[in-house]
Amino acid sequence: MTEEIVARRLTGEWMTPRRRFLSAMFRGRVDKVPALTLSSVVTLEMMEAVDAWFPEAHLDAEKMARLAATSHDILGMDTIMPVFHSQLEAHAMGAPTEWAEKDNWPSTSSYTIDDPDQIVVPSDFLKKPTMVAATGAIRLLRERYPDVGIVGKVYGPWSVGYALVGIENFLIDTMLDPDKIKRYLDKILPACLMSAKAQFEAGADAVMWCDHTTGDLCRAETYRDFLLEMHQRISAEMGGPSIFHCCGKCTDRVDYFAEAGWDVFHFESQVDLLEARAVAGDRISLFGNLNNPTLLYQGTAEDVYKACWDLLDKGVDGLAPEGSVPLITKQDRLKAINQAATDWSNAHRPNGRTIERPPVDYPEPDPRNIGTFAAAR
Amino acid sequence: MADFPALQTAVEIGDRDTAVRITQEGIDEGVPPEQILKWMTDAMEVVGGRFARMELFVPEMLIAARAMKGAVALLEPLLVAGGIQPDSTAVIGTIKGDLHDIGKNLVAMMWKGGNIRVVDLGVNVAPEKFVAAAIEHKADIIGISALLTTTMGGMKNVVELVRSTPEIQNVPVIVGGAPVTPEFAEQVGATGWAPDAASAVMKARELISAYQKGAAAAG
Repeated sequence: MTEEIVARRLTGEWMTPRRRFLSAMFRGRVDKVPALTLSSVVTLEMMEAVDAWFPEAHLDAEKMARLAATSHDILGMDTIMPVFHSQLEAHAMGAPTEWAEKDNWPSTSSYTIDDPDQIVVPSDFLKKPTMVAATGAIRLLRERYPDVGIVGKVYGPWSVGYALVGIENFLIDTMLDPDKIKRYLDKILPACLMSAKAQFEAGADAVMWCDHTTGDLCRAETYRDFLLEMHQRISAEMGGPSIFHCCGKCTDRVDYFAEAGWDVFHFESQVDLLEARAVAGDRISLFGNLNNPTLLYQGTAEDVYKACWDLLDKGVDGLAPEGSVPLITKQDRLKAINQAATDWSNAHRPNGRTIERPPVDYPEPDPRNIGTFAAAR
Repeated sequence: MADFPALQTAVEIGDRDTAVRITQEGIDEGVPPEQILKWMTDAMEVVGGRFARMELFVPEMLIAARAMKGAVALLEPLLVAGGIQPDSTAVIGTIKGDLHDIGKNLVAMMWKGGNIRVVDLGVNVAPEKFVAAAIEHKADIIGISALLTTTMGGMKNVVELVRSTPEIQNVPVIVGGAPVTPEFAEQVGATGWAPDAASAVMKARELISAYQKGAAAAG
């Protein structure tokens, strides 16, 4: 007697969002290209929907978790990312912070550091309010959403340096006193690593590391000379899958980001996906890069849908807004991201099981964007 | 005799001590302050051009600006005493919610070098404050800066308030900042946009000129 086969063939969306997200981080097989929040997609509409408002949601784990979960519950995204502001480690290290109102983001209110020796990582760093809120929210989310990707966020020593010292002062010292900058980075780094490890321990599937060495502020060589070797150590030591975020114009440093060992580069709309892929090859996954101001904020849901489709055709590994979206962004624009990911994936799943990407013609990269490592390859 | 080509070079490479020293020598020798200033504004034009071509980056701009600021501080009392006045006024600030001021500071510095009086409102500036300052100082242009994509939407509020305030409804509004594109500038109704601090001088001059001609024609 032949045993009856009851198992069904895997078709459609059979992966959990968490598995899909993690697989996409390594350019693995997926049933749908994931729609992601890696930066904040919180808006005033979301705050109202779950009655969790800025600024309280920055320091209250439960409100933070509730608000962050709207990215999955309302927008349908495959990840939840609960850190909405950039003061996480800086505030825990003593940076005076203006927490702002419901319609704005916190930031450093005054810069109190002008020498690396003034920087001390508190022994109770992980017990500081911002850290307790973030790790607490991740714990709650892990418990409530076992099948959804939970993303933590860390501001690295370069970005924390901006928050403690001031961007202008920090950048001037990259020219006038590079050793001082290296001492800042060395002093701040242990706090950032502690933050990353604590977020993994709390249940994050991946942590996004932000160090804003953007072309809008400094040279590609600045990243190479100050951070590349440090980032290679961090990506090896941080304790789990890593996403690197850097704002703005970065095409000329994608080569270095890829060589730093990060699993994913989360990039902005100033970076062309095809050129970034041509430079990086298979060394790093690319998540992004939906423009905030002209597309998500000022565009229509249809504009967003079309832009997503275009990125998917070009081989983006995960769809995501380029950075934290304006708080007055309309919900339908953000919902269009997952809708596009779903529709495109349904149209590109010829075997019914996993998506197959159409062939893409990659351009010859601009010679200025081919760094040392890409050239050697 | 003061070595003014060396002054220009000092500003270009951000050597503040040398810039201050040569400026003081020029003053001591009785060289008109506006002539000394010209060497420095020429230097900043060179720096701005190189920045626009991505040969230089913000840190180099910052140290050049720092050198010029140190030297110009010596000239300012002399320029005021000599009745040398800018021919136009700009009000500038970073948009509400945004505490970043590098871009705004660079533009303000370049505008000052371009003989525009600058009223700097600082960071986190509400639309009402832009409007009040533009009225009070009879601004010929309003400049709004943003670094964050999260805050740049507020530029639209400023433009709308300016356009609905009769005293300043025709004053040009120029916007800029790392994430600000010409498309976004158009969407928010700005009169102009510039990609960097150096281009902002030429663009501001063009907008001010058109505005002043229009104001004169309107009587």
